[in-house]
Amino acid sequence: MSDFHSNGSGSPVAEIFPRSRQLGKITIAPLPQQIKGAFTLALVGNPNAGKTTLFNALTGLRAKTANFPGTTVERRIGKTTIGGQEITLVDLPGLYGLESSAPEEKLASDAMRGRLAGQPAPDAVLVVVDATNLERNLFLAGEVLELKRPVIVALNMMDMAERENIRIDVEKLRAELGCVVVPVAARTGRGIDELRREIERLAGCAAIEPAAHFKTHCVTTCATCPYQKRYEWTESVSAKVMNAAALRRPQRTEKLDKFLTHPVTGVVAFLAVMLAFFFLIFWVAKIPMQLIDHLFATIGTWVAAQVTQPDLQSLLVNGVIGGVGGILVFLPQICILFFALSLLEDTGYLARAAFVMDKIMRKLGLPGKAFVPLLSAHACAIPAVMAARVVENPRDRLATILVAPLMACSARIPIYAMITALLFPQSPFKAALVFTGAYATGIFFALGMAWIFQRTILPGGSKPLVIELPPYRLPGLRTAFLHTFDRAKIFVKQAGTIILLISLLLWTLSHYPKSAPPAAAAAMTAQAAQLEKSGDKEQADELRATAGHLTAQSALQNSFAGKIGHVIEPAIKPLGFDWQIGIGIISSFAAREVIVSTLAVVYGVGEDAAEQNRTSLYDTLRHAARSNGAPVFTTATCMSLLVYYILAAQCLATSVVVRRETNSLKWPLFQIFYMTGLAYIAAFIVYHIFLNLV
Amino acid sequence: MTTVISTIVHETRLDELPPRTCAVVRRIETDGEDIQRLKTLGLCVGRQIEVVKSGDPLIIKIFGSRIGLSASLAARVWLEVCAPVACALQNLS
Repeated sequence: MSDFHSNGSGSPVAEIFPRSRQLGKITIAPLPQQIKGAFTLALVGNPNAGKTTLFNALTGLRAKTANFPGTTVERRIGKTTIGGQEITLVDLPGLYGLESSAPEEKLASDAMRGRLAGQPAPDAVLVVVDATNLERNLFLAGEVLELKRPVIVALNMMDMAERENIRIDVEKLRAELGCVVVPVAARTGRGIDELRREIERLAGCAAIEPAAHFKTHCVTTCATCPYQKRYEWTESVSAKVMNAAALRRPQRTEKLDKFLTHPVTGVVAFLAVMLAFFFLIFWVAKIPMQLIDHLFATIGTWVAAQVTQPDLQSLLVNGVIGGVGGILVFLPQICILFFALSLLEDTGYLARAAFVMDKIMRKLGLPGKAFVPLLSAHACAIPAVMAARVVENPRDRLATILVAPLMACSARIPIYAMITALLFPQSPFKAALVFTGAYATGIFFALGMAWIFQRTILPGGSKPLVIELPPYRLPGLRTAFLHTFDRAKIFVKQAGTIILLISLLLWTLSHYPKSAPPAAAAAMTAQAAQLEKSGDKEQADELRATAGHLTAQSALQNSFAGKIGHVIEPAIKPLGFDWQIGIGIISSFAAREVIVSTLAVVYGVGEDAAEQNRTSLYDTLRHAARSNGAPVFTTATCMSLLVYYILAAQCLATSVVVRRETNSLKWPLFQIFYMTGLAYIAAFIVYHIFLNLV
Repeated sequence: MTTVISTIVHETRLDELPPRTCAVVRRIETDGEDIQRLKTLGLCVGRQIEVVKSGDPLIIKIFGSRIGLSASLAARVWLEVCAPVACALQNLS
């Protein structure tokens, strides 16, 4: 310690980042020729040690996210060239110790030790240590060093340590650990060059043996707790290398926590944060979403003008451009959600949110963190399912993913609007009640199903809360941007392609086989031509529009979708639906709100009405009659349709994302089955209640 | 750094330990997965710990960091409360 303090003439920075370096006891031998080539370096470290920030500082945008084979646990792989040598960096999940039983930590530990089948051990390990929490972080470093692998220790967050007046004698730490220790501040980029130099040197050398004094602890002698000795070691090391002042912890985090983890103020603060969060993904995201919508509409119009062949035009405009637009429109919500989530996580607040919500959520069989994805699901289930990754425990994450799509997403709003308009055209109050009821029903069933799943298919209960509450920190924007970019890329690449295929399939179903325009429409077109000749252009256009609606109506009715509508009619009749609503249900698998425009076409109002003239659509629907003259949209049918759309899994895009996030086909299929089954039963009950009441 | 605690006041459960009292872990009642999780975070026999905030969940300070812990888990941890003078943690916080 005296060495450290005697060097007091220089600035603190110079002390922490020593200019001259000596390698002391570390022995370096030249690397055998055959090992040279792709050098892999695995990054390990405690959660919250800034591992990902360091990884990003070393690799940047060139990193790829991939699952560990056969799991849903992700690791990031990046390449960087240092001194002409290509280095592959692998960012493993954060872990506290090598013997952890948590699946993510176990995978990280196994991957580092080369215990995964077909995955060779990395050539070297970069242990990321949080300089502001040396005692705890050295525990893992000690375990890794005992493995006698080539190790570099990156002493991260040196900038924070300085601010907190923590001084660490790097030379001493180096001597204690017997390996290279590089002080860095990944957030500001300080020390990264030196770290790169060390990596370069390591990549060009053979294994560096840990110093001899580093002994394996407690093989037989430690009767009470095998961890005890190691903790004593880390404590003694940190006491030796840190100045005494550093043992005093900053008060800021404690003061903030008094307020943010309080049972009352903590919940209020949490709700405020969540409200802001929801505002971002629900309203702020609308602006870019509308822009994307407009952009694709403009491209569609332009393409339609260039391609006049009707089939090709429809394929390009409605199938391809519409399909791509339908995927990209999710991006604003995904990006905003992950950006905000990354900031929340980085500040340390997310751990507090989990803490505050734990008691309430646990009663439902979900952990506190599940609140975030479940709330996000009110904007859109896709980012919500992706955000379920904040829940660490796989069982809890699965439960969250399974129930999230029951929450009323924004795609359901046009349907709720249509049904409330049909039911209560004159009463905004009653309409508002129906809307509120629809949202409440979604929440009720989501939480109820979570409770049921906990007792049936996902037994074992939620793990009791154990969570580190890291010190509050300013979040890193670069990390947040890269994280957002990463999630957006995964969505577009992995989910986007399948979603595009599905929307093309649905387009085909509703456009083929082709049928000739009905006789009435042909007659109208001819009549319109006559009228135009006689100068009555206005009436001619009106007639043409009606003819167009009739043609579209008949085309849809004669298409595969129309035929499927007829086939499923017996099944949906008990819910009060006819085959036309059946077509709407089929076509809305692409996206729920599509049912509104499909019904507009099916009932001959034309697709434009769904967009521009809702009143005429609602009027037509209100007067739509069955062959026997009875109205289609009775109160009972409307209520049944409402309940059906609250609960049914009418979104294949969500299912595609669930498939990716659960890495199985079983769970998205189960989800479709249980949600639609639930919707069917509930709609049936509601229909019959209203049928007998009214 | 070994802290010798000579004065033992009494034994208590972690969920009943009042805030700002320092204690030493004496036994942990189950040896399941949960206990393993606690151990990797530093909560194991012989360690000094301090409750920052009681309740359910509660916050403990151990090994340089703050851990949020559900009371059901804390109830399985038995401690010996150490005399105020002997506790290093107490003096520092």
